[in-house]
Amino acid sequence: MRGFGAFLAYRLFRALIALWLVSTVVFVVMRLSGDPVPLLLPPDAPIAEMERVRHDLGLDRPLPVQYAVFLGNVLRGDFGRSIHFRQPAMEVALSYLPATLELGVVAFLIAVLIAVPIGVFSAIRRNSPLDHAAMGLALIGQSTPTFFLGILFILVLALRFDLFPTSGRGDWRYLVLPAMTLGAFAMASIARITRSAMLEVLRADFIRTARAKGLGEFVVVAKHTLKNAALPILTITGLQFGTLLGGAVVTETVFSWPGMGRLAIQSIYNRDYPVVQSTVFIAAVLFIVINLTLDILYGVLDPRTRETRP
Amino acid sequence: MTAGDPADGAVPPRRPTMQSDNRDSKALSRREFLGRAAVLSLTATGLLEAVRLGPAAAQTTQKRELIVAQGGDISKFDPHFSTSSNDIRVSFNIFDNLTSRRPNGKLYPALATRWARTAPTTWQFTLRQGVKWHNGDPFTSADAKFSIERTYDPAAKTLVSTVFTTIDRIEAPDASTLRVYTKKPDPLLPARLGFYGGQIVPKKYLEQVGPDQFNAKPVGTGPVRFVSWTKDDKLVLEAAPDYWAGKIDVDRVTFRPVPETAPRVAALLKGEVDAITQLVPDQWDRVNQNPTTRGVGALYAGLYVLAVNSKVKPLDNPLVKQAMSLAIDRTAIVKELWRGRGIVPNGPIAKGDNHFDPSLPPLPFDPPKARARLKEAGYKNEPIYIETTVGYVANDKPMAEAIAAMWKDVGINAVVEVIEYSVRAQKNRERSFKGVFWSDPTSTLGDPDGMMWRLLGPGGPQDYWRHPEFDALGNAARFSLDEKFRGEAYQKMTRIFLEHNPWIVVIQPNEDYGLQRYVEFTPNPNQQFDIRRFNFRMRRA
Repeated sequence: MRGFGAFLAYRLFRALIALWLVSTVVFVVMRLSGDPVPLLLPPDAPIAEMERVRHDLGLDRPLPVQYAVFLGNVLRGDFGRSIHFRQPAMEVALSYLPATLELGVVAFLIAVLIAVPIGVFSAIRRNSPLDHAAMGLALIGQSTPTFFLGILFILVLALRFDLFPTSGRGDWRYLVLPAMTLGAFAMASIARITRSAMLEVLRADFIRTARAKGLGEFVVVAKHTLKNAALPILTITGLQFGTLLGGAVVTETVFSWPGMGRLAIQSIYNRDYPVVQSTVFIAAVLFIVINLTLDILYGVLDPRTRETRP
Repeated sequence: MTAGDPADGAVPPRRPTMQSDNRDSKALSRREFLGRAAVLSLTATGLLEAVRLGPAAAQTTQKRELIVAQGGDISKFDPHFSTSSNDIRVSFNIFDNLTSRRPNGKLYPALATRWARTAPTTWQFTLRQGVKWHNGDPFTSADAKFSIERTYDPAAKTLVSTVFTTIDRIEAPDASTLRVYTKKPDPLLPARLGFYGGQIVPKKYLEQVGPDQFNAKPVGTGPVRFVSWTKDDKLVLEAAPDYWAGKIDVDRVTFRPVPETAPRVAALLKGEVDAITQLVPDQWDRVNQNPTTRGVGALYAGLYVLAVNSKVKPLDNPLVKQAMSLAIDRTAIVKELWRGRGIVPNGPIAKGDNHFDPSLPPLPFDPPKARARLKEAGYKNEPIYIETTVGYVANDKPMAEAIAAMWKDVGINAVVEVIEYSVRAQKNRERSFKGVFWSDPTSTLGDPDGMMWRLLGPGGPQDYWRHPEFDALGNAARFSLDEKFRGEAYQKMTRIFLEHNPWIVVIQPNEDYGLQRYVEFTPNPNQQFDIRRFNFRMRRA
């Protein structure tokens, strides 16, 4: 297990570098792209008043000084105070995390549980009507803009047929439409990747061998094909999961879901630097955790990958 | 965020709309523009039309809760730290002011029962007795004095420190009297006290718990008191049972942010919410045709204008600005883009304000005259930039495109550029606009002093143009106690204004709300969202 420990330590070190780089880029870009003060004050505030507020927020100091203060504070776990909410920024960002995870995980589960079986069946029954129908749907799912799909769901399923609430967060019924909307894209791309990965393996010699030695179709598909096709499926699934957690801005906006993507975008508009930093930090940590998990899963599924890792 | 789903990475505008963010800055012809507007409205309206609703429900209710969906969430409770419309819709209900501007535009007693000028620079207020804060403490003149002084106290660092600059000092000789001394005569002080910055906060509680805790758990004297807030999800308030003006007609009030227009309207049509704010013109008919809902509107106490950076050539030439104004077909804009939910203004004073002159005709549309003015000005096809936002004010980008096309029709080289909201704020601060830009001047006092003079006056945020006579009149009117003199001054200022057009006034739109039919609500023109007995009631079964 010493190899695994070294591997983990190396990955954690890289993760820290990544976090530092991400924070720095966001710090610089945010400060170069605009000023929160005019957004806070009424439009008739005089220049002196602007300068006073800038001073109070520490925005009048040179950028390197602001950066040093920022880094020092982050190392102590202090992400600053939200300019918009007047509360600790990390506290604000973390209060959005449960809603984000709830929506992201459910959308992900819907996507995977539907997409993988569809992809497998499409591959086995290649060029059948079922395959064409499934892949046609996948194409539509992948190319429909999220806001359109979301509003369509609201108008048809919520308003016309009264099956679900239109928007907001509450019991499980509130979760269905946004999760389906958010999951649609991931579902489509996972289904397509699953299908092509399966087809690739189905063509391989060892599958012909397996069939030749008289194995049942289920064993061929489940044990030999799916397991060997798992790596690309796992990769796309992991990437999609990260995206579902971090990039759900439009879905969250359409369904008034109190998630972190929406918070991040609003904070960017408000130039609320500390909250942007906090949400990006959380998103980066989530991505790093997901990638790490994937790497470990690769090793479990395919022993060959273990040797190639440092 | 670190990664964007290709299908989910589009960035919605600050007040999201269904418009595509087309950065094509080439002007469209009028017909193309109208065609595009029709296609866009198909996406939202068309879908809504395609969906039919069930039979009419009863027009009364058992509900004891009012659910309001607004376009964005609040940011904070402390009323002295925000002037945004989402925030003040809530803070004006948790807190009271000394005076209250009702939907009819007149000032009424609130925490002050009477006020009078006892000397040219002294206002004396008699405060209401027996009023209790939500935590049970009694309200006294000490709270009022503390509150107003807090707005401009450097140590409090509020964001409304410019509201009461005319005040010299305040005395509270006894528990129910407040005396305000102004630096010069200020006829509009009671009006100033009725709007933002004027919300009265509790001295004892605030000093006891500190500003952070006060902001987290606000205590006011208003008709509703704070219960809980989950950001971007829901804000729950309950009716104060012993409110001094009588308990309001529900037990609970919940505010929900629903940023997108289509879901907000859908939530209303379906009956999930009782009232929505920011009902767009596209959806006005839809909401009224639905048997259980209706729209109510009030003419906005303000104007939508293209403010002009008159320091840039050729906008320093009044003739060019006259041509720009004459070339705009405002009637078409009201009819096509606003579906009639607005009026063509007649000058810089909003209809409904003090000293609005009803005898002036609406701003004219006269392309031949516009061409003649351009010729007279020696206009040499210099580009004139419209820096528009998307959704900063309703319909800003479609209006900018329409106006650019109208300007092209008379030979003005109009260029539309789209800028982000925060970029607009920055340019506003630096006064670095390249040409004209959208502004929605609000009449904070129901008087031209709180609108045209506040914004266009020397040192004001839109100080791009100076005119000695205009300045002398504006200054004299601010400190004059003679309403006849003030009226004449504003008439003269209007004449000068229409010659020089420091704003190119475009429209006075409606502020529309959608309601369940059982909700009786009279909106306030100045975006104040009162939930009080004088304007709100539920029709019970």
